[in-house]
Amino acid sequence: MLCACSGEQFKFEEAPQSPESLATRDFSASGLSSRTGDWESKFDETQVEDVESTLKETLSLNYEEARALLGRLEYQRGNFDAALKVFEGIDIRDLAPRMIRAIAERTKQRKPRSKGDNVLPNVMSMHSVSLLLEAILLKSKSLEELGGYTEAAKECRIIVDIVESALPKGMPEGIGEDCKLQEMFHKALGLLPNLWIKAGFLDEAVTAYRWALVKPWNLEPWRLACVQKDLATTLLYGGVEVNLPSQLQVNGLTTPMSGTEEAILLLLILSGKMALEEIDWDPEIMDHLTYSLSITGMFESLANNVEKVLPGVYDRAERWYFLALCYSAAGQNEVALNLLRKACASSEAKHRPYFPSFLFAAKLCSLYPNHAHEGIKFSQEAIDLAKHQNEHFLGQGQKFLGTCYGAAARISVLDSERIIFQRESLKFLNAAVALNGNNDPEVIFSLGLENAIQRNLNAAYDNLIMYSDMMAGSSIRGWQLLPLIVSAQQRFKDAETIVDFALDEAGSVDQLQLLRLKAILQITQKQPKQAIEIYRILLAVIESQKEHWLQAKAFWHEALTQQKLEMEVWQDLATIYADLSSFLDAKACVDKAQLIEFFSPRSWHLTGLLLESRTLHKEALVSFLVSLSIEPDYPPGIISAAKLLLKFGMQSLPIARSFLMNALRLDPTNHDAWFNLGRVSKMEGSLQQAADFFQAASELKLSAPVQKFE
Amino acid sequence: MSADPQTPPPATATATATSTATATASPAKLQTAIDSLSSIVPALSTLTPSNLLTNPDLYSNISALLRQPNSGAGDNNLCRWLYDTFQSGVADLQLLVLRFLPVIAGVYLSRVADRKPQAGFEAVLLALYAHETTSRAGQPVSITIPDLTQPSVYHEATGKSPSKSTGAAESDLAVVSHALEPHGTVRSTRRARIVGVALELYYTKIAHMPISSKIDFCEFCKVWAGQEGEMYEKFEEDEEENEEGGVGSAMEVKVRKKVEGRVPLCWELLQPVMRILAHCLLGPNNNKEVVLFEKANEACRSLFARSMHDVNPKAILPMRSLMRLSKTLMPNSKHLDPTELPYSDVISL
Repeated sequence: MLCACSGEQFKFEEAPQSPESLATRDFSASGLSSRTGDWESKFDETQVEDVESTLKETLSLNYEEARALLGRLEYQRGNFDAALKVFEGIDIRDLAPRMIRAIAERTKQRKPRSKGDNVLPNVMSMHSVSLLLEAILLKSKSLEELGGYTEAAKECRIIVDIVESALPKGMPEGIGEDCKLQEMFHKALGLLPNLWIKAGFLDEAVTAYRWALVKPWNLEPWRLACVQKDLATTLLYGGVEVNLPSQLQVNGLTTPMSGTEEAILLLLILSGKMALEEIDWDPEIMDHLTYSLSITGMFESLANNVEKVLPGVYDRAERWYFLALCYSAAGQNEVALNLLRKACASSEAKHRPYFPSFLFAAKLCSLYPNHAHEGIKFSQEAIDLAKHQNEHFLGQGQKFLGTCYGAAARISVLDSERIIFQRESLKFLNAAVALNGNNDPEVIFSLGLENAIQRNLNAAYDNLIMYSDMMAGSSIRGWQLLPLIVSAQQRFKDAETIVDFALDEAGSVDQLQLLRLKAILQITQKQPKQAIEIYRILLAVIESQKEHWLQAKAFWHEALTQQKLEMEVWQDLATIYADLSSFLDAKACVDKAQLIEFFSPRSWHLTGLLLESRTLHKEALVSFLVSLSIEPDYPPGIISAAKLLLKFGMQSLPIARSFLMNALRLDPTNHDAWFNLGRVSKMEGSLQQAADFFQAASELKLSAPVQKFE
Repeated sequence: MSADPQTPPPATATATATSTATATASPAKLQTAIDSLSSIVPALSTLTPSNLLTNPDLYSNISALLRQPNSGAGDNNLCRWLYDTFQSGVADLQLLVLRFLPVIAGVYLSRVADRKPQAGFEAVLLALYAHETTSRAGQPVSITIPDLTQPSVYHEATGKSPSKSTGAAESDLAVVSHALEPHGTVRSTRRARIVGVALELYYTKIAHMPISSKIDFCEFCKVWAGQEGEMYEKFEEDEEENEEGGVGSAMEVKVRKKVEGRVPLCWELLQPVMRILAHCLLGPNNNKEVVLFEKANEACRSLFARSMHDVNPKAILPMRSLMRLSKTLMPNSKHLDPTELPYSDVISL
């Protein structure tokens, strides 16, 4: 059997007779202690001889132990085949019960008497057990070296099984001091999952990792952390789901329901340990955590964990940028912007400017009109930096700059300033389109929107058609803006057709917004009955979906959008009924809207209109003023108040004029405001001026969309 | 629960076990699939039920056909075969169809902007989507954010008293994939979602997917990103050097040409894409698959470049981490095996 593989395969230069000849010798399996005499002469290898003699002098060496030692020698020399042959002579299945008993007995004894090892008769010594465990471990490693991963893993599991059966409650304290049992066991714990992975059995590997983690095996903190990290990464990237076995699903403990959840739990534990400095900082753990929390959309948790990272790990600018990414992804753009302000501020002036921070800040500002001026600064800096290092991003910088200029024009008080901003906006957006337009549909959309707002309707229409083509109709924003532009061209039928197309291409949530747009188009075309019918359907759908959105906190964003839409529908209906002079119905609709949101300027505005129609002027004015106290920059409220003031006679004209001028500052294209301003001028007797205002009003009305562009 | 800690782990090699089980259960369906396939692809006439899943020519033949112009048309026989085969309900055959998802999704999305009819591809994608819709039964895929103040099998409770043990359960729920609404046709605004869900299905079966399929996936990632990742090749290494390189190349790029195949990458599509990519990049055993690792690495760079270009924080965060992690796996960075025994000539007893 074993003799088959002898000398010539494993020749050693220094030793003609290779030591594995020991393995090939036929020992009687029962031989307990050393049988000297006849095999001593066989060894001329000095090292082995030395060992042998030492052993013989000090201890009695039994058959298995001898093989264990010899095998280790072979292993250390790199003769894995030979080592394997030697180790195979140890019948571990036969020995296992004795080893288990030995470990159990001797660890029990350990506590009262520290040196009780030799007292127990017929029980293996701990040294012997350790030696044998090491033999199995080396056997496993030899198999690994030879490519037999599955076999190796099975061998390795024997160690784990033996120790686990002997010590079902985990490793007792202090066992590692005077024997190698714990060391061997720990090595086996670490090796086993790796072997299973190499063998291709990920589920076994995961089970092995869990074994190592769920009991107190006295692993050193770094080793424990390593196992935790390895399990987490195997679960995250392995692509297999290994359910937690039922014995690990203990009541009262957090039980992860999926591999990803388990991985996140482990990574959170690890990051907690790093925060407490129980283990060294490991950037990989942070990267795994970032990845896992990101793909599950838990950016807020991620932000919390980044906040906990100890100072000194990241430099300030990097940390701010990292946090800003987290908060922005979690939807807290204002927080993100605050962090980026710091990262881009003068305190960092000495350092090399971190380009992504500037670009990111520019993007965030471009989303909010009130940050337009700040956004212009960030975008300009981003463009400057891009020219020096990241030419690639130039187009992006220009896009944000153009968008911010557009927003700045909208909040601008001075007419002259507004015109400059509008021109700049188009200039930069066009430049961005020229640079990136072929590949970046978003920049074309931005240009289209700006063109629409500036009432360059034909250009806007072309932009939007191009955008829709590039997106192949997949953008709901495109589907919403295009019919508005067409409606501004006063092509209501076409707009309706586009909305119908869009309804076919949209998912159920987006369809609701489109339905409302369709109803509004009907109102504009003086078809209130059709409009009311559409609103009826819309309300029914909202009602049927309400329960679904309200069931979990995760949907709060959707639930809020639905609620807002429902309110707007009631307000729209109120307008229709008011136009039809059906005031009671209108009042009922406003009441419905106010049940959803009491402090809505539009609802108060509508209440005012209804009161006005009943010639309750004072009460109406109060309602308008309430709507303005909720939202001072609400043009319809301002205009209605001004209109009402006109009814009060000449002495109110200056107030009405100032109201209307204010409305025009907020919304320069509001034809209603221009028209009423004309009336004021007419009443004041400046007919030429009045004619100009009326003309502006009529021209603007002919290019007005049915809903504001945004 | 006090269960026996000695319980042996569940049987290994589940893949092979199930495959033999189903193969014996529905040999008729397998044979039909093979017969109709060999009539479409004559080169594959040597197929038998036993080598259907292992035939080396199968993948290359079919994926080459899928890449042909007009391959996705409604009357395309191969698409019909893929559809029928998936609908047969045999687990093995479904896995077989799923292998081709990267190519189908890749070719399909890249061609969408050309407005060619692709009803064939859409039918297959919708079949996968419908399969997921049924198996999820209207429930969203969600996970609970672990609460470290509660003890788990891996740790003891930290610090704070466990005040709310039942009420907190719902509030810490994160929705990974929303509930699916049934779709009979591909509505263009839901296209990304449908492909995304099909990719989610692919991800759940990724352990059974052959390497060539994953490599194709990585290549299409690059196409979809439409962004060169070269500038990030030395990611976070020599930034100074990068700067100079940037100035040099600044002169060349003025107006970028249209990149074919670049697609809008919304979160619904990007999320499963990133999960699959992460598996290709960092999954176990990837050190054996050098080609896959290289391709995944390139795809990762491209997608990172794209996310930086879009200034999309949700994509920047995971992609940046993947870039860093992949760097530690580069062939030149050596890993020490902590389980390795120290070498010594001294025998200690």
